Amino acid sequence: MKLTIDRRQLMQSAGILGLAMGAPRLALGEEKTLVAATFPGTWSEADRNVLLPAFKKKTGATVTQSIILGTDQVSRLVAAKGNKPPFDVAFFDAPQVIDAVREGLIVEYPVAKSPNFKELLPSAQDKWGPKITMQVIGIGYNPTKITTPPTSWDDLLDPKYKGRVGLTALNSQLGIAFLVEVNRVKGGTDENFDPAFKYLAQLLPNVGAIAANLGAYATLWQQEQVDIAPYNFNFVQTLKAKDVPVELSIPSSGAVGWSTSLHLVANAAEPDLAVQYIDLHLDAAIQEQLMKSPYDAIPTNAHVKLEGGITKTLAKSQDDLAKIRTIDWEKINPQRGALIDRFNREIKL
Amino acid sequence: MGASNSPLALPLAAVFTVCFVAPLFVLLVLSLHGDVAMTNWSLLNYLSFFTDRFSYSILIDTLLLGVKATLVCFIFGFPVAWLSARVNARWQSILLFLVILPILTSVVVRTFSWIVILGRYGVLNQIALGLGLVSEPLRLLYTETGVVMVLAQVQMPLMVLPILSVLSKQDPNLADASRALGAGEWRTLWKITLPLAIPGIVAGCILTYAASVTAFVTQSLIGGARLIYMPLDIYQQAVGANNWPYAAALSIIFMVSVMAVVAILNAVGRRSETHGRA
Repeated sequence: MKLTIDRRQLMQSAGILGLAMGAPRLALGEEKTLVAATFPGTWSEADRNVLLPAFKKKTGATVTQSIILGTDQVSRLVAAKGNKPPFDVAFFDAPQVIDAVREGLIVEYPVAKSPNFKELLPSAQDKWGPKITMQVIGIGYNPTKITTPPTSWDDLLDPKYKGRVGLTALNSQLGIAFLVEVNRVKGGTDENFDPAFKYLAQLLPNVGAIAANLGAYATLWQQEQVDIAPYNFNFVQTLKAKDVPVELSIPSSGAVGWSTSLHLVANAAEPDLAVQYIDLHLDAAIQEQLMKSPYDAIPTNAHVKLEGGITKTLAKSQDDLAKIRTIDWEKINPQRGALIDRFNREIKL
Repeated sequence: MGASNSPLALPLAAVFTVCFVAPLFVLLVLSLHGDVAMTNWSLLNYLSFFTDRFSYSILIDTLLLGVKATLVCFIFGFPVAWLSARVNARWQSILLFLVILPILTSVVVRTFSWIVILGRYGVLNQIALGLGLVSEPLRLLYTETGVVMVLAQVQMPLMVLPILSVLSKQDPNLADASRALGAGEWRTLWKITLPLAIPGIVAGCILTYAASVTAFVTQSLIGGARLIYMPLDIYQQAVGANNWPYAAALSIIFMVSVMAVVAILNAVGRRSETHGRA
């Protein structure tokens, strides 16, 4: 038998194939899909395990997670300007919100459509999108090696930690927040970073490793490559849940942190679902679940009573949380490039 | 290939134009803007790169890293290819499988397992300490030595496979003739096998080199942020500093430099080939 396929047959088969591939969508036309950005690591897990099932139950819609860092989200939204954005909900740290507003990447949050919004602490009610949590940095240390918790950023300079101090590159939020805080403690201002870089120069002999990204930074602790380093409360909690020997100490100069927020992307494909998704993130019951180990997300809903790891390390009450120092990103953002560049030059081997 | 076959290449050409040539053109246009807002045209990005010692030293470090990784890869890869070409079919498939095995896992997984091997309390240090070779753990992670070691292993298949394909096509009579004329194993290897394998070696070196200098994941996970190579620099400028025009200029400079190295390798390969025939 000879098999011949002419053009007409080919087109017919292709057409049928195309229909067949499209069919599941047609059949399930009722089911909608929301694309929501989330951070790699703890947050993507928290969203997958807590948010997504609750969202499915409430709306019947499914969520596709787009797991990328805030800075990468801004890059992708900028690249997609004028077209359909790659995701409907953006997940930003404070500095990206400024960039996103300036670039017109997000729209004002429709507060009227979000019943949980008014339950938030006043400081979390941002018109560009509600703050859902806060990230706080302090000094991470390995309690099996360092028995007295460090109390000052100067402790990192102790010669006994030669080769045992870790750092992360400044393209991470942790790196830049650490630099800004050390600069403040050492008498610098947001215009003058010389004190911070002087501190870094003193610190370098102690520095055993500078991780290029936060994934590699976590590995430094897991492999016990470093004993002491600036770290983020939530990352410490995640590692502790995996039995990695690490603790966080807040230095006497105080805790410093920044907010993390959710935003409705401009021209989102599913704006209503996006708002429902964001609203669910503000729900007291959901935030209570997210506050449990291993997520330990600091809540922003005023009705959530603090408990767990947060009360041990950071704050006994919402008032304590309100005292955590924040960073003036309006001033820092424009300098980011120059700071990264200076950091690279001064630390290069 | 005759001209009659050329329509068959059209779909590929179309994909290339849309997915490769067009983005490259965008990249070039981007790099020719002097400011982040992309309003004025200028060569500022290129000028500031070549007049700044720190910037071009990153390029030199990266190109040298590729040379080191390729050399190590060749030193370990050639014997493997040579052996694979000489053993019987069964052993050959086993060796080949071992060579290809690394490609079957993700580069991220492979690199993370190297972190476990090279770490302060990693396998390598445990062995060295246990044998009493060193008194305190060696620093391998976050050093260039570590990066070269890992790159050489990760890119090994790219070196071995082209050499193997050339070696297995070599006429065994040539080696026999060399031996019959009184040459020893080493002399045969040096005078017959190696020169005839040059096309494969050059192909292997080009692949290994190009893959090593652009290996963002391996470089940044094993080298950390203190060893800055071009891929990390480009990433930091684009995403961390949001300076797309400068990142684009870095990309163009990097691409042209790597292409130049590849062209040199190619020329060396061709020359030795014609010499071999003369």
